[in-house]
This record gives sequence, C-alpha cells and structure tokens, in this order.
Amino acid sequence: MRIERIAAILLQELFITKRSLEVIVDLFFMSLMTVIVFGFVSRFLVGALNANTGLYLILGMVLWEVVRVNQYSLSVGSLWNIWSRNLSNMFIAPLSVTEYVAAQMLSGLIKTFITFGMICAIAAYGFHFNILRLGLLNLVLFFANLTVFAWAVGLALLGVIFLAGTRIQALAWGFIFLFQPLTAAFYPVSVLPPALRQIAYALPPTFVFEAARQALSRSAVNWPYAAAASAENLAYFAAAVLAFNLMFARSRKTGQFARNEG
Amino acid sequence: MRSNMLEAPSVEARAPASHPERVSADAILEVSGLVKDFGRFRAVDKVSFTVPRGKIIGLLGPNGAGKTTTIHMLLGIITPTSGRITYFGKEFFSHRQACLARINYASSFNTLQGRISVWENLLVFAHLYGLKRAGARIKELAAYFEISGLLDTRYWNLSAGQKTRVNLIKALLNDPELILMDEPTASLDPDIADKTLSLIEEARRASAVSMLYTSHKMDEVNRICDEVIILDRGQIVAQDTPLGLTKRIQTAQLKLTFDGDRHIVEAFLVERRQTYRFPHPYAVSIDTTEKLIPSLIFGLSEQGIWITDIEVKKPTLEDVFLQIARGGDHED
Repeated sequence: MRIERIAAILLQELFITKRSLEVIVDLFFMSLMTVIVFGFVSRFLVGALNANTGLYLILGMVLWEVVRVNQYSLSVGSLWNIWSRNLSNMFIAPLSVTEYVAAQMLSGLIKTFITFGMICAIAAYGFHFNILRLGLLNLVLFFANLTVFAWAVGLALLGVIFLAGTRIQALAWGFIFLFQPLTAAFYPVSVLPPALRQIAYALPPTFVFEAARQALSRSAVNWPYAAAASAENLAYFAAAVLAFNLMFARSRKTGQFARNEG
Repeated sequence: MRSNMLEAPSVEARAPASHPERVSADAILEVSGLVKDFGRFRAVDKVSFTVPRGKIIGLLGPNGAGKTTTIHMLLGIITPTSGRITYFGKEFFSHRQACLARINYASSFNTLQGRISVWENLLVFAHLYGLKRAGARIKELAAYFEISGLLDTRYWNLSAGQKTRVNLIKALLNDPELILMDEPTASLDPDIADKTLSLIEEARRASAVSMLYTSHKMDEVNRICDEVIILDRGQIVAQDTPLGLTKRIQTAQLKLTFDGDRHIVEAFLVERRQTYRFPHPYAVSIDTTEKLIPSLIFGLSEQGIWITDIEVKKPTLEDVFLQIARGGDHED
C-alpha cells in the first residue's frame, strides 16, 4: 500500500467535492438543514416533555449524520468516476483496490469530521445542545463505531455497484435509511415491536444510540454496549470486506466492471 | 515540431535503473493461449501474440471479434478464463502494479473525470503513477499536444479532439514502454483524427514507445502499424505486416478509359476469361490479377484500342479485412 496513491485519490475527491454542487448539497447542505429542523423540533419537545427526551431527536440526528456521510462518501465516491467513465482509468494505473477503498474511507472520514463539526457547532450555538456533554470518551467510541458500521455498509454497496452496475446506483445513497428506524436513532429501542427489537440489537448503531441517550443524563461509558457494538462491527466489517472482494472479483470475471462505463 | 517533447530522454537514457529489463528484453508483451468465456460464449479463443519493443501492433477485427475484451484482459479489468499474459518477462497477475506502472492506455471509450479540470485530472494520474516532477511533466506534455491553454478548463467542456489529446497526455504521463490504444480516434472527424495520428507517430519517434492499437480504420492501421493481427470471432485469423496481408489477395482492379469499339474490348476480355464491367461506354473495369495487367494493356493496344487512361487499384488492407471477415482467408 502506497501513501502517495491514496493521497492521489484523496486529491481527486477534493477536486470533485470542490466542483460539485451535488456533493455540497447532499452532504453539507442537507446536514445543515436537518440539524436546523431537528433543532427546532427538539426545542419544542424540550418544552413539552422532559428535557432529555426532547433532546433525543437532535442527538440522534447529529450521530446519524456520522453514518450517512461516511457511507455516502464511500459508495457515491466511486459513482462519480463510473459516471465519468473514468473508473477503469484509475485501475489501469498501478492502484490497488485496497488503496482505492482505503482512500475512499479516509475521504468519507474527513467529510464526516467537517460535517459533524459543523452541525455540532450549530446544535451548540443555535439550540443549546452541546454534544460534549456525552463525554469525550463516549463521543470517540460513538463516532468510531458508527464510522465502522457505515464503512461496512458502504463497502458492501460498492461491491454491489461493481457487480450489478449503475442500475442499482440509487442504493448508494438510499439504502442506508433502512437502518434509521431499525437502529432506533431517534427513540428508545423499547418503542419498537419485539420482533424488530431483535433485529435492532443485531445492528451496532443501536447500541450507540441507546448509550448516547443514556449519556444525556449520565456521561459514564456503557462498556457492555460499547463492547457489543465493537464486536458486531468487527463481524460486519469482516463480512463486508469478504463480500466486497468476492463481488469485485466476480465483476472482473463477468466483465461487468468494464461494462459499468460502457 | 514540439521540441520540448523531442527533448525527452531516449529509451536507453530514461531511468535504466528503475527498468533494468528495458534494454535486454525484446518482447514487451507476450500473450499466450488467452481465453475468455462469458458463460457459454467464448469471446476470446486461445489468442497468442507478442509485442516487440518499439513496434506498433494493430489489432483488427469486426465488431464482436474480441479486440476490446482482449485489451481489457491485458489491462487486468477483465479476468481471463485461461492463458498467460507477461509484461517485461513478468507474469501480469502476480506483478500487476509493477507492470501497470510501465504501461498505459488510451481509448475513446474511456474519458477522464468530467467535472474537474484538465490540470486536476492529470495531476491525480501523475500522483497515481508516482511522478516526481508532476507539474513540469504535465506542462511539458500539454505544450507538446498544444493544449496548454486548456489546462484550467473542465474536462467535460472540451471538444472530442481536445479530449483525445488529453487522454493521450494521460497515456504518456508515466513515460510508458507500452501503450494500449483502443480505437483512440473513433469519435473524431477525419481532420482531427489525422492530427491525432501524427501526434501518435511523433510520440513514437520521440520515445520509441511500443503500442498495441485497435481500430476499425484500415488507413490508420496501414499508416502506423508495423504488424497487424486480425481477430475474428475471438480467434487470430491472420497476422502479418500490412503489406504482407495485402499481398495475400492476388486480385487487382484495372480501370481503362479508351477510344475505340467497345465490342472489340468486350470480345478480347471474354477470350481472356476476364471479369469486367463497363461503367460507361468508353471505360472498362476489369477484376484481374496483378501479373496479367501488362498483357491486358498490350493486348488491347494490339487490337487497335487507343487507351487514354490507366488506373490500377491494388488490394487494400480493407479488402483483406473484408475477405477475412467473410471467411475467405483464414490462416488455419
């Protein structure tokens, strides 16, 4: 793995982001608007319910953006090259698929840091919700677990795109929302029907969102939840890497990888 | 023309330390028994050939012959069903990155990232190839291809001809020893295509780069290729120099304009068992063999026919291609 080639992909991501209104709208503008809407709704609910319950929405939204932006960046980053019929050119250069994926993950992480910082600042100054009240260690654990889950989903979707082509491209930005209700991003898991609760606890972000809501009143780390989320993430990420490698190999075998741009 | 490109170091002088096999090995690319099956359909069938150092090899064939699939396998974006690909004496799939660092690719079917500028695109590829003086190299090639003024233009705003030049710059960035070109002039009008070919020829003279060149355009292949491989239904059906291929067709077309009795001409040609037609009353077009042409001309003169114009149309590479594509001249 060569840092220089990873840096080259990051450079391309920077150029594309800088020149694409779509990326700016999809990532930064949508995050901005959502935090504002959820901020006002939370402000209303804080007045109507108890203070912490009212904050569930803005807390869930701020943390959900870590999942959405990371996953979007990883999956959609490659679509920009497919749409430009440039992806083959990238792999005709001495770039390994590991370097490419690592760069896309890193790019997603950078975009997420920027977006997260921006919406946290708005939440703090506009709606008096300081994310640091969760505790720094909690925040790091939440961020890391949500990021790894987003990478796992993004990587699997990237494999599906390579395998099936752009006809399923809408999944790259739409599929992640399947997990929003299932992981109980905005409400306690207990709200879900029993069958869905089983599914919810099979998803790492559920532990993060539950622990985050707990941390609103007590910022101690919920280590059993942190461990459960990390263990599940490890399994999801390993499965995603395996699935991606199989799908990438299959797309080169069937010729779909080359046809994606045809 | 474009002296800055001509100032590029010679093949031997260019970084011999990083390419130790460069001088010793004659074959840049060796392909052996390459097969690609898509389900039950065999797209490429036991294709074997070699690209020697400094040569341009044309890969011809009708649509669906397997040219692009072959190129894609040579680039590693399609996995072969079986067979062996060797660059610079190294097996491709076990030395993928080392091989790709020394070759490049240009095609009218691939483009660069549309929404970023030419400079930005080329800078990304320069870094992917690990160029030390990326900016200087891009400027040097941009000047050579006369697009210095377009470096800040977004790629999608370029014309087809300008895009082709930028693609060629991308293909030359890493000073490759072999460029695979898949119909690089396919979308260009004749004037720009001709200029592009001149640039390719110039680039070859300047850096002695080898090329594998696919095209449908016989005149292009005839102009720049040292050797031609004709593929049909996934198999190599002919391989020779362009001249050698045209010599396989013995027939030529003799067109005579004459002053005299058409019936005498017709009787003479019937007696000589020639195939002919009269495009107009004082011209005859005869399908014959090259060696019979003098005797036909003298024979008609002896019949009192005054020949005012002679035109001999020799077989072209296109004739060879058509004959092979129609199943008339398979080597095997």
